[in-house]
Amino acid sequence: MRNNRLGCLSGTGIAAALAAILVIAGYAYVRGGLMYNPGPLSTQGAQLLGGVTSHAEIGGECQACHTAPWEEATMTDRCVVCHTNIAEQMRNAATVHGTLFENDPSLECRHCHPEHRGATAPLTVMDEVPFPHEVVGFSLIAHQFTAAGEPFACDDCHQSDITTFALETCDACHRQMDLGFMTAHHLSFGSGCLDCHDGVDRLGSNFDHSIFSFQLTGKHADVACVQCHVNARSTVDFAAAPLDCYSCHQQDDAHSGRFGTACAACHSPSDWNDASFDHNLSNFPLTGAHVNVACENCHAGGQFQGLSTACASCHAEPAFHAGLFGTECAACHSTSAWTPAQFNGSHRFPLNHGGGATCATCHPASFTTYTCYACHEHEEGEVREEHLDEGINNFQNCMACHPNGEKD
Amino acid sequence: MLRGNRELWLAFLAMILITGFYGLVMVLTREIPPASELFGHGLGIIGFVLMLMTETLYSLRKRSRSVKWGRMANWLQFHIFTGLVGPFMVLLHTSWKFNGIAGVTTLFTVIIVVSGFIGRYIFTRIPRTMDGLEIEGTLSQEALKQARRLLALWHTIHIPIGMVLFISAFVHIGAALYYATFLK
Repeated sequence: MRNNRLGCLSGTGIAAALAAILVIAGYAYVRGGLMYNPGPLSTQGAQLLGGVTSHAEIGGECQACHTAPWEEATMTDRCVVCHTNIAEQMRNAATVHGTLFENDPSLECRHCHPEHRGATAPLTVMDEVPFPHEVVGFSLIAHQFTAAGEPFACDDCHQSDITTFALETCDACHRQMDLGFMTAHHLSFGSGCLDCHDGVDRLGSNFDHSIFSFQLTGKHADVACVQCHVNARSTVDFAAAPLDCYSCHQQDDAHSGRFGTACAACHSPSDWNDASFDHNLSNFPLTGAHVNVACENCHAGGQFQGLSTACASCHAEPAFHAGLFGTECAACHSTSAWTPAQFNGSHRFPLNHGGGATCATCHPASFTTYTCYACHEHEEGEVREEHLDEGINNFQNCMACHPNGEKD
Repeated sequence: MLRGNRELWLAFLAMILITGFYGLVMVLTREIPPASELFGHGLGIIGFVLMLMTETLYSLRKRSRSVKWGRMANWLQFHIFTGLVGPFMVLLHTSWKFNGIAGVTTLFTVIIVVSGFIGRYIFTRIPRTMDGLEIEGTLSQEALKQARRLLALWHTIHIPIGMVLFISAFVHIGAALYYATFLK
């Protein structure tokens, strides 16, 4: 009855072992490798890849994903048979997968994409692999530590699924940090944080606006961003802010549009009142007495363009001209002063007569009359005496006999 | 009583220590130790080795005639100790998932432990020396005969369960090596 065999190698023991092998082999034959399944495969997926939309649909075909230890191929080689788009990404360093494989060529898909964890379990887990987060458009350079000083964990922002991100997550933390700012910021620029923020630029108080063509000088430096960037919801919107004055300042225009829309021609950003129009750039440079004339004197009624530059459009010919000089004022007058004027017109009588004479010397009453008296040689008594001696009675009309002012 | 059940108390103590360690790992890693990682995998491997020892060592000693190392009673105590601690470690190795062949293996592990307990109490009904030889004359012939019959019946059931358990365990180990350990 006794023997040296192990107790288990009894007849019933061997029979049971054989039966067990048969059952297992039979099950394997009918159901494939399902009995080795360490957990349900994912049922997630919307795209048709390799004829299925989820791993669960090929659950029994272990070799669809698994390679034998003695095979050359790896599981990654199996993955890309269906996931051809990922295979392309793996060769392109501009993509997440490309960067990951460039950083670590020994990486396999399964290092980040575990399976057999349940039908709805996340298919991406980045516990072990340093994820090049900037490749997805948001750098973690400014998100190294939480407000509490703890290193950020993936699930601080991503909750259960690392491939999705809820914008409310930004809001939840940043409201705790500064409720007032965030409330105002939301009202000004909306809630699409990622449309402007890439994790690198804070775009806040230490944002350097001078890198753009529109420099914030003068009073522009004190203006709230939203004043110019109205309803901006993305960096594209921000860049589209108008550069011309009038787009923002139309309502500030004290000239009601009469000066046109090029405010900067007269105004600077330092102050509206500090206007400095260079009239000399116009076709009517202001010289002499014109410099001190109030704008409105010429530009009455708010008309600044298209005014005549003719003197007579402002200056009527004075009565004492007796209509003799016409309206070409500038022929005799300068803008410095009306007097003295330099008569440059035609004059019947030599103007150099007597020397140092002014108009009034000969024309004391009006320009229509003249007198030769009142000069040292032309006392009326002497003139009468001299002319009567010569028998000339008509001596009052000097010019009749002395057109050149000469004696003979 | 304590002395008589020393192996049970030692096994109990070992299980408490292992449970404490398991709890510590769970707190530190904030997860149930997975079957595939260092701690969980170690539990499975050591637990299985203990179960394998349970299955073979006592049986070998019992059937060895030329060399007689140690007393049978001590071997039985060791058999009971490993037969409790091994399956307990294997149970912790499961990470409380009982899918497929691994789940079947766990089921048979539980069954074999229960069966072992039953067998132990049938076995002790027959008075023996420290070397395991039956002491005749203390029981009535009728009682002895009944006890022997019961023990034989128990053997007929216990051994096939053990065989099924080990077959499924080996398949599980093979699959684990193929699909996980040597994963590429």
